[in-house]
Order: sequence, then structure tokens, then C-alpha cells
Amino acid sequence: MPDQDLDTKVKLAIYAVTAETGRVPNSSEISRKIDTDEKEIVEAFKRLHAKRVLLPEPGDPTRIRMAPPFSGIPTKFPVEANGKQYYANCVWDAFGIAAALHCDAISHASDGHTEEPLTLEVKNGAPVLKPYVAHFAVPAARWWDDLVFT
Amino acid sequence: MLLFRSEETVNEWCAANKIPRRPLVSLEQLWQLAVHWYANRLTVESRRPGPDEMVSIFASVGLTGPFWDPKSDQWN
Repeated sequence: MPDQDLDTKVKLAIYAVTAETGRVPNSSEISRKIDTDEKEIVEAFKRLHAKRVLLPEPGDPTRIRMAPPFSGIPTKFPVEANGKQYYANCVWDAFGIAAALHCDAISHASDGHTEEPLTLEVKNGAPVLKPYVAHFAVPAARWWDDLVFT
Repeated sequence: MLLFRSEETVNEWCAANKIPRRPLVSLEQLWQLAVHWYANRLTVESRRPGPDEMVSIFASVGLTGPFWDPKSDQWN
């Protein structure tokens, strides 16, 4: 099944470039990286979206808004890891970047209401525990209805 | 999903935005979820957990009930 093979290659390329650079690549960069026509890459993006692997940028199918845990645009959850800066989609994904990269990480985040600076940190494979809490506003059954809000 | 210093600021945010107060998750629980979801995300074996697997993962960190069930129709 060549489509599945291509989708896997595209997915791995997206994550490899993101991990290496701190930036989520677009279809042109993936096209060059795996030497495949860009139109096929855009089609793979659509299939990966249908499989809930990634979220294309609304209105621009050549760009990726979310390749969880990574964000394609700056967010309130910047994550420093391996000497690079990444952006997470949410507080869960801020820890998710450390889990995906298997390294220490620090995120200079903020309180969702007061905007007071709050630091999240992962050291030696475990979170530095603090009495902070995450609030999930959307039930699991509706997470993909509006993933950006979720 | 957002981060808050305390339950108090969660309640203030929910009131200010007219959003129902939902379950709170500790950093320890959040880390366990992150590991379940993302530890192999950069590998060829990576895949998103299925609905029943999601329920099992949430339950393993103490999060149970229809809010954590992706197949629940309670929110339609």
C-alpha cells in the first residue's frame, strides 16, 4: 500500500525536521527532504489530518499548524530543550515535547488567568513537581471538534 | 488546555469566561499522560491511542468518567 508508506515517511520526516530545527516544516521542505513531489506531500498531509496525526494550517494545506506535541506557530508554551526552542500546543504538549525528545526541558509558561509566569520543568525523565494544575475545558469526545481551542 | 497556579485561578478564569469548571489535572498526572501519548512519537511505531486505549490510559492516572471517554455521547 504505497500511500501508507508515503504517509509514514512524511510523518517521520515532519518529526525529524521539527526535532532537529525546533520548527515544524512545510510541504516544500518535506518534498525536498524525502525527494517526493510537493503535491503528493500535500495529499499526505490531508490523509494524516484525517488520521488525526496532524492539523494543517486553516486555509493553507501546505503548512502544518499542529504536529502534536509541536506547534507550527508561536504559542504561550515555549519549550527549551536540547539547546533549541520549540512551541507546544498546550500545557500537556509542553510536557509532551520533553517526553517525545527524551530529554530535559523547561517551559516558561504562564497562568491561564492571571498571566503570572509559571515554569514547567522536566529533569532526568521526571517533572519537577509543583502545585500547579491543568484545566481541561473540553471533554475527550470533542477534542477534535476544535483542536486549536482544546 | 491551560496551566494555572491554583484551583483558585482556575475558578476565576472559568467565571470570567463563562466556561464550566471541568476536571483538574496535576503535573504528575499530566506528565504520565504526556509519556503515554508522546514517548514514541518520533518513531515508526508511533500511533495515536484508540478510544478504548485512551480510556484505559486516563484511568491508569486516576481520570475516570464520561469526561475522559472519547466515545461518550454525553457532550453532544
